[in-house]
This record gives sequence, C-alpha cells and structure tokens, in this order.
Amino acid sequence: MTTLALTGFLGLSAALLGVGVFGILTRRNFILLLIAVEVAMNAAILNFVYFAAFPPNGGSGLSGQAIAVVLIGFAATEVAVGLAIVLALNRLKGTINVAQATDLKL
Amino acid sequence: MSLEELAFLALAVVAVATALLALLVRELVHTILWIAIFFVDLAAIYFLLEAPFLGVLQLGVYAGAVTVLLLFGIMVTRKRIFSREAATGIGPIPLALALVTFIFLVSAVGELPQSEVPVRSYAPSALSVLLFGTDGAWLLLLGLVMLAGVSGAIYLVREGRD
Repeated sequence: MTTLALTGFLGLSAALLGVGVFGILTRRNFILLLIAVEVAMNAAILNFVYFAAFPPNGGSGLSGQAIAVVLIGFAATEVAVGLAIVLALNRLKGTINVAQATDLKL
Repeated sequence: MSLEELAFLALAVVAVATALLALLVRELVHTILWIAIFFVDLAAIYFLLEAPFLGVLQLGVYAGAVTVLLLFGIMVTRKRIFSREAATGIGPIPLALALVTFIFLVSAVGELPQSEVPVRSYAPSALSVLLFGTDGAWLLLLGLVMLAGVSGAIYLVREGRD
C-alpha cells in the first residue's frame, strides 16, 4: 500500500498554479497563453485527485475523481474553443499576438 | 524515505521544470514537446495516487488530443513552424504576482497535518457507477458542454463570413 504525505502534493499544485499565473501574465502569444491556462487547470485537477486519494475523516472521496474526469473533458473543450479563436484571430489580423487583438468583434 | 516518496519528488521536480521550460523557451515547437512531457508526468502522478482511470484519461486526452491540437494551431498560424518567438522581457510584476500566489497557497498548505497517510484506492468500476449511475448526469453535463463548445468553435471558424 502506498503511503504519502498530503502536503507535498498540495505544494506541487501551488507551484504549478504559480507557473500558470506567471505564464498568463508574461506571454503575448495566444497559444502560449492557452498552454499557461492548461498548466493552471492541471494544478486544479491534481488537487481533486489528491483529495480523492486522501479523503477527510475516512469517508469516500470518489466524487473527487468523478469531478476530475469531467474537468479533463472541460479542458479539452476549452482548448478546442481557444484554437478556434486563434484561427479566427489569425485570419482577421494576420497575427496571434493578444496585444493586437484590441476589439471584441471577430 | 520510501520509494513512493522518492518517485513523487522526482515527478514533482520534472512537472514544475517542464511547465516552466514550456513557458520560457522561445521556439513554439519546443514548447509543445515540453508540455507533452508535462502531461505524461502528471499521468504518472495519477498512477502513483492509484487513480489509473484518470491516468489513462490524462494520457489520451491531454498528452494525445490537446498536444496535437496545439501543434495544429502552431502549424496553421505560422509560415515556418520552427521560427522563433520575439523575446519578451520577464517583468518584475508578473514574477512577483506568481510568487505571491505560490506563497499564499503554500502558507495555507502549512496548516494541514504533515503525517503520512495511506493512499485510498478505488476500483475503476466504482468510479463508473458514480459517473454512469443515476442516468449519467455527470457525463450528460460534460456532453452538453462539449456540444456547446464545439458548436461555438465551428461558428467562429466558418468560411464566408463578413
């Protein structure tokens, strides 16, 4: 049976969220921005899996894994929509730099 | 230190390093390679946490589909796919905000008990009962959101708009 301490896991997802925030704030390329959002989202999914593996008060944490399954599907949808925006932006402006996407009208 | 802890430490270091590298290297194709390693690494962590179904899902959806989608996006939007990004300076404010996020979360983590706990494992069949039981509300919700998202994506990229 595997035994592990919970704190290390939470530290990892905190670090990943920090990396994601850093990427969102520094990168100007839309695809890199999407990747940074994916890193931050993976930190959140990881947290759900941790708390499913270490349920409080000995209860069942299985719904944590179910939420993780649904979140992975949401993330895939989000990438599909994000790439559609990238393609539309590229066709209209000829660039995928978010600093030049100054109006909402596509 | 047990073997599992050693494995987790190695995986954690690789996860943070590849995530940082993916966001810092200047060639976009290298970014995709690093982020693919990051996704596979997270799948390994799911296996370590005895969630094999999620590990396989992570490999299939993230390491497979999302990586290829991002690569496709790069191929479509660039003339030469190995061209470099313009260097962006790393300002002090984003770095400070990321550090504040990290320190804030870690200080909250510090209040949790530090003791080692056995990892609770579930049979994949129990997860499927939860997902598909009661008329599969979870998966119906996921399917509806995906349908809405894909319809929106097709609307955005459709031809012949003015």
